[in-house]
Amino acid sequence: MFRKIILLTIIFYLLALWQASFFVHFPIFGVTPNLILIAVILLNLFEKPEDYGGLWGSFIAGFFLDVFSGSFIGFYASICLAISLFMKLVFKRYVWASFG
Amino acid sequence: MRTSSQRRVILTIIIGVALILSLNFWQNPVKGFFYSSSASLQQVLWGAGNDAADLFKGFLNSKKLQQENEQLRLTVQGLLSENSTLKELRRENALLRNALEVGPAKTFQLALAEVVSQDISQDTILINQGKKDGLAVDMPVVTQENVLLGKISEVYDKFSRVILVTSENSSFDAKVSDADITGVIKGRGGAQLTLDLVPKTKELKQGDLIITTTLGGVYPKGLLVGTVRNAQKSDTEPFWRTEISPLFRANELSYVFVILNL
Repeated sequence: MFRKIILLTIIFYLLALWQASFFVHFPIFGVTPNLILIAVILLNLFEKPEDYGGLWGSFIAGFFLDVFSGSFIGFYASICLAISLFMKLVFKRYVWASFG
Repeated sequence: MRTSSQRRVILTIIIGVALILSLNFWQNPVKGFFYSSSASLQQVLWGAGNDAADLFKGFLNSKKLQQENEQLRLTVQGLLSENSTLKELRRENALLRNALEVGPAKTFQLALAEVVSQDISQDTILINQGKKDGLAVDMPVVTQENVLLGKISEVYDKFSRVILVTSENSSFDAKVSDADITGVIKGRGGAQLTLDLVPKTKELKQGDLIITTTLGGVYPKGLLVGTVRNAQKSDTEPFWRTEISPLFRANELSYVFVILNL
């Protein structure tokens, strides 16, 4: 678990740098897709139901988004965490429950 | 009934959120630390992104570029002739200033800064000059061509965040160049600008150049803002509904200038 969190921290840090300094040069129809939000969704989508690494990962991802954007620290961290919690809840109640 | 592991996770998350929110008390040092430690990598990424985007656009728009090139060639010819007239006028102006003993036009003290990154909402950029270089909040930021980009919204030790004029939080007074038409420029987010509060009795047309005025004391006068892209009159509104094309693209900026003295 600890190793997973460290790995996610490094990945999301690099993704945040990539998003803020490289990916902004490639807007699609004037909008730059948010790589980190996409990664957060994918992370929670493919995580096992008993794992909680996705929650930590989402929180860390949001923190790096906050650092490299103009918003106050905690804004994106809360949003990403909320997305992650919501996905976990929906998956637990409606998806994994049907397999259980 | 909740298991103890679930309770532990929820408790940890609550503590984590509280901890992160408390970081706002030291927001400047925290962000400054990350900006300083990532600056070299970000500069490389920004440069690489700029080059890759240019190459990509070249492939995609080769035909369009050819037409644009032809159009620009004609514009350059027109500007060259205008330039020679203006040079003559400048010489004349200098002579008159000497004769009337009026001092030279106020010049700005500028600081050169490199763009390091852009916010994902695209309405702020980060530059590699900060408090230690004499920068302060509300200082205007321009390009080499005197195009207004915005003003400094946050200052860290070695970095500053610039809020662009296209941001939804930006509004300032502006006027149409060579005409007595003033209005308020408002940012709409996503590289969009509008010119509001221009009475319908005034004549606006597509291509009109918009410049800053000293009204409001936010920016010095004469900085270029954009050109009128679309101006429409509505029967129900007393003012023009005007869209402005900014004269810059935030993701194509490399170097900017900060005006240190207004």
